[in-house]
Amino acid sequence: MSLPVGHYQYDRIDRDFLQARIAEFEGQVNRRLDGTLSEDEFKPLRLMNGLYLQLHAYMLRVAIPYGILDSRQLRKLGEIARRYDRDYGHFTTRQNIQFNWIRLEDTPAILRELAEVDMHAIQTSGNCIRNVTADEYAGAAADELVDPRVHAEILRQWSTLHPEFTFLPRKFKIAISGSPNDRVAARFHDIGILARPGEDGAPVFRIFVGGGLGRTPIIGEELFDSVREEHLLATLEAIVRVYNAHGRRDNIYKARIKILVQAIGVEAYREAVEAELAQMDLERYRLTPEAVAAIRSRFAVPLLEAPSDADAVLAEQRRADPIFDRWVRSNTHVHRDPGHIIATISLKPAGGIPGDATSAQIGRLADLADAYSFGEIRITHLQNVVLGHVRKDRLRDLWLGLAEVGLAEANIGLIGDIVACPGLDYCALANARSIPIAQKLGARFADTALQAEIGALRINISGCINACGHHHAGHIGLLGVDKRGEEFFQLTVGGRAENGAAIGMILGAALPEDETVDAIARLVDCYLGRREGGETFLDTLTRLGHEPFREAAYETV
Amino acid sequence: MKRPVRLEPGQKLVLTANRLLDGRTVWWGADGTWDLHIGRAALLDANDAEAALSRAVEQAQHDGVVGVYDAAVKAVTPPEPVTVREKIRAYGPTVHPEFAVETEQ
Ligand code: HEM
Ligand code: SF4
Repeated sequence: MSLPVGHYQYDRIDRDFLQARIAEFEGQVNRRLDGTLSEDEFKPLRLMNGLYLQLHAYMLRVAIPYGILDSRQLRKLGEIARRYDRDYGHFTTRQNIQFNWIRLEDTPAILRELAEVDMHAIQTSGNCIRNVTADEYAGAAADELVDPRVHAEILRQWSTLHPEFTFLPRKFKIAISGSPNDRVAARFHDIGILARPGEDGAPVFRIFVGGGLGRTPIIGEELFDSVREEHLLATLEAIVRVYNAHGRRDNIYKARIKILVQAIGVEAYREAVEAELAQMDLERYRLTPEAVAAIRSRFAVPLLEAPSDADAVLAEQRRADPIFDRWVRSNTHVHRDPGHIIATISLKPAGGIPGDATSAQIGRLADLADAYSFGEIRITHLQNVVLGHVRKDRLRDLWLGLAEVGLAEANIGLIGDIVACPGLDYCALANARSIPIAQKLGARFADTALQAEIGALRINISGCINACGHHHAGHIGLLGVDKRGEEFFQLTVGGRAENGAAIGMILGAALPEDETVDAIARLVDCYLGRREGGETFLDTLTRLGHEPFREAAYETV
Repeated sequence: MKRPVRLEPGQKLVLTANRLLDGRTVWWGADGTWDLHIGRAALLDANDAEAALSRAVEQAQHDGVVGVYDAAVKAVTPPEPVTVREKIRAYGPTVHPEFAVETEQ
């Protein structure tokens, strides 16, 4: 079998391990069903295998390492949705997929099907190092300095079943990017890594620690500016060791690394890491150029050939079709190869459920990936899908194919590209429903011309303070709160996850659910009425401050 | 998860849980069985609910349910949960009317 483009090729050891793990979990499920294991005993075991109990059914979270899939894997996810779920799947902000209607007794069979295509649900839950996320344009973007996937794969191998880090004080999330434009929210992760080329050709890594959202949103602080490649694993090992030793275990709300970093200060944390490094056997953790090359050789490199007039063909097609042109404007990104382009496929149809895709759509995406992008698919942390290497002269055909299954929405980065967690429609922890508000907002701003006019504006919605919808990082953020069993939403403005990461400011008292959409519409009107020149929402907000927006949101008629 | 129950006038308690096999939301009926439909749930006074709840918790493994607890409802037909959360558990995700529990057998 030829190597997959975009992700690592598993070998015998990986596959044997997955089978052994499934057999182990099947035994645990059987012991739960016959009563040998109580629910309290079983819960941590099922969580270690990605199986949650939500409001209506079990939910299975399947890992998509650094967000990259091949078409055979995506097709399998579509088949699982059809056969074991209710014909759809939900892509998450951790670049994973969740199935919402899973039966406990089917789970071992589902895991076997996943293993057929080298997939699993391990470390998608629990207090371990979770799925490592990476730039969705990795290996494709013109602005990229270092392709982060090889190191993301190295981190995957390092963190998977790491014996020392299976019971951390709390979950641990790592993101890596190799572009100066942060597309991974590096500073909102427990560890955020930005790679750039070093002087000797090998990459160096800038490392942030202690960022996070949730109850206590904190922007990560720089721990090291330039970690050399050979010391990457030793450094990460030392960072997580310090956390494992000193992170709080007495209070779940104070257990993340961000609290430790805040408590002792980043300087003290750095000293502790350096002290740990000084007594570690660095040789054992040394990442040699040979080891990196061996991992790199397990990734296929796409053969990027395009006719010399590819660019001209696309330009002409854009001129001839304004609707296509609008989609190209919002949904593509510059590729490193002039004959190619990166296409982002929106899973945010107006009035739809952010991140959901039907099995038919999933199957079609796999076919389109085969036809247009070397069979490779990426899931973004904004709940969309990327085809990384599309020939420019074939982009319009791709777009037409997407339109046939309702996936040609032109709203990436615009107000319709809403990020929302599952909220109270599914989630046992929720205070309020996130999806219906997202649907109402999507419908309110459905007009793509209006969206283009409003420009860059991201709305993020979380159903509770756990912040799965990253509301703190939204240009406009909505947080669901419960007031005597009723749904209310607290609004924040000014958050951002990109370069210049910031936490949104709360505008005022939470609003009843049925007043929230109107309040946001007034906010947007306020911006449209007062912006100057080519200002974005964030620009206008920065210039005017919060007050006019607060007034607009709370103005009553 | 013991908490004092304060019911408003016209409210009763029902027992609810999730089925072990498939995780589906179920409601405890007067005949002692668990049912998908809240319309078949037994309406309990605060005093009766406490005993019924501890019995149901003891029986949970035998009955194939997990996470048994009580929830307040308006005592109408069918009973109407007081909180949005329990309404959604009773009737299914509001964003998928085609999955409405009422339409299931
Ligand atoms: C029933 C489903 C889910 C449950 C029970 C759940 C549970 C939680 C909990 C308890 C936290 C808080 C962790 C903390 O503060 O330390 C959390 C945070 C988070 N969850 Fe979920 N979650 C669910 C679904 C999702 C989904 C669908 C997504 C992605 C769309 C997601 C992504 C995240 C993210 C990104 C955070 C991060 C906060 C941070 O960085 O501090 N979760 N989740
Ligand atoms: S933010 Fe809260 S409501 Fe939303 S998925 Fe996370 S835990 Fe559930």
